[in-house]
Amino acid sequence: MEARKPLLEIRDLDIAFGRGKKAVQCADGVSLTVNAGEIVCVVGESGCGKSITALSVMGLLPRQGHVTGGSIRFDGRELLTLTEREMDKVRGRDMAMIFQDIMYSLNPVLTIGLQMTEGMQRHLGMTREAAQARAVQLLGKVGIPDPAGAMRRFPHQLSGGQRQRVMIAMALACGPKLLIADEPTTALDMTVQRQILLLLRQLRDEGLGVLLITHDVGVVAELADRVVVMYAGQCVEAADTQTLLTHPQHPYTQALMAAVPGIDDPKERRLYAIPGAVPERYDTMEGCRFAPRCPHAEGCGKQPGYDAEAAHPVRCERREDA
Amino acid sequence: MNMLEIRGLRKRYRTGGTLLHPVYLDAVDGVDLTVREGEFFGVVGESGCGKSTLARLIMGIEAPTAGEVWLKGQRIDSLPERQRRRLRPKFQMVFQDSGSSLNPRKRVIDLIAEPMLYHRMTTRREAKSRVAELLALVGLPEDMMDRYPHELSGGQRQRVCLARALGLKPELLVLDEPVSALDVSVQAQILNLLRDLQAQLKLTCIFIGHGLAAVRYVSQRMGVMYMGRMVEIGDAQTLFRTPAHPYTRALVDAAPVMDAQKREAPRTALSGELGRRPESGCPLLLRCPYAEAACAREDGALQPVQGGGGHLSACMRAMTPDEGGAARA
Repeated sequence: MEARKPLLEIRDLDIAFGRGKKAVQCADGVSLTVNAGEIVCVVGESGCGKSITALSVMGLLPRQGHVTGGSIRFDGRELLTLTEREMDKVRGRDMAMIFQDIMYSLNPVLTIGLQMTEGMQRHLGMTREAAQARAVQLLGKVGIPDPAGAMRRFPHQLSGGQRQRVMIAMALACGPKLLIADEPTTALDMTVQRQILLLLRQLRDEGLGVLLITHDVGVVAELADRVVVMYAGQCVEAADTQTLLTHPQHPYTQALMAAVPGIDDPKERRLYAIPGAVPERYDTMEGCRFAPRCPHAEGCGKQPGYDAEAAHPVRCERREDA
Repeated sequence: MNMLEIRGLRKRYRTGGTLLHPVYLDAVDGVDLTVREGEFFGVVGESGCGKSTLARLIMGIEAPTAGEVWLKGQRIDSLPERQRRRLRPKFQMVFQDSGSSLNPRKRVIDLIAEPMLYHRMTTRREAKSRVAELLALVGLPEDMMDRYPHELSGGQRQRVCLARALGLKPELLVLDEPVSALDVSVQAQILNLLRDLQAQLKLTCIFIGHGLAAVRYVSQRMGVMYMGRMVEIGDAQTLFRTPAHPYTRALVDAAPVMDAQKREAPRTALSGELGRRPESGCPLLLRCPYAEAACAREDGALQPVQGGGGHLSACMRAMTPDEGGAARA
């Protein structure tokens, strides 16, 4: 295996919404690494801080949100100290993001061609003709039938799967090193989802680093090289995919996997339903944040540690007996 | 006994064209279906396959263009509204979006009690204890009664919708994507609840969804829909293990596989996307990797598959066992 260099390194990232006494901390010491040519999945239930972490990498946090600590290094550069203008040059060119909501991610009154070429002309200084030629080539690569014709179409004239392909093509336009994808297949149908997963796999093999946010354990199994599990704003477990799927150590990871029905399950199997829900305010909790829902919790009043540099870090005091 | 019988059900929408040359789409295109009493019947398919239209036709929310719907030996599709309203408690529906199916200005107690009061199935005096019973049935604490929908989580709201439907003691319950909008852990809670309710109340239910494993989890029998047609019907335990129709095969193969070894096995992939309908013949014609010239003349009627057990498939082309399918009779 070739030596991989870290492309994205997030260390001890803290994100809060609001300031002063009203501040709510929604990401707490998040650490993860994405190498070139690797797909890293972040999984967890809604409200666990996965999307916020992704947005902070892009410098796209909503107005009330801000990073209060930690570091985000991308390709050897610290992103958190960049000015907005410097960030603007990185965003869209060296890293790009695609969203779940394909309906709202494309401008409905501009043609696909115009939206595809805008970034290339701006970031790479390409001429309109050159950008158009590259756009057609990219649309073909992501599997849009009749790419030249698609350039003249408007978003509403494409199907959901095609729109998501256009989004991916657009994200790839300036040759990014990192692609951040937030639930890219959740809104798509099964057979189309499969086509998009195969496309992402192909891009990974060509050297793209991918940070994929998902709540679908199946997508993780199919796509991820490594997995980070988040709960209540914290990383609770990280490992390579095979290890995580076959030997999950954190009770939350185990519970997540036991909650998913399988297509070959024996009739008698009963799903494990995690009791309760993700707490709305978790930053003021003491001790282990999963303890109220954990089947193994017993005297877990101390905040468990988490060593992001370990091969298989687990945020659980009772790791051994879990 | 058959709870529900559907014969040749069809719904045609006009989708465009001009006054003289209209363009039509058959959202439901000749569906025959029988659901037995006490059975959970699952319907799976991708968006646009007509599964939600099918539910709306059964419920009488829309009038079918052709075909018949029979509930316990009584034809309900052609009933005048007044008579249908009297039958309404017998067939109830729960929708995917629990947020918009509950009036935001009413409290849970009123939401659940109102239909029962309307149909005179309870009195004002008894309503409260009846609502408490129903809340207990769906696993919600009694003090939820005084809350408004916005104070509940998505899973709790879906339970309220379920309690409201169950309050009328329906003979048939139609669930349209009831867990699709929920997180996996909450989804597991609702799926388990449905299983328990079925065992407890002997409910007859049609469960519509796009997640194969979730639908299978609660169903005894299942049907796969594609472009308005039922393309395969069979026992939920075995349908995905030995699919006879290439579309079912492709759906199964598109579902993510957890086991790394199984993932290496060859899989059927469909080219293109939903939406292109061939001029004639099998609706899957343009996307099917096994399509032959003869498929263009196929009418797509369901026929028994070898091995029996009520397994029906609309594919005329026998899938050989090495393709993972059951052979046609």
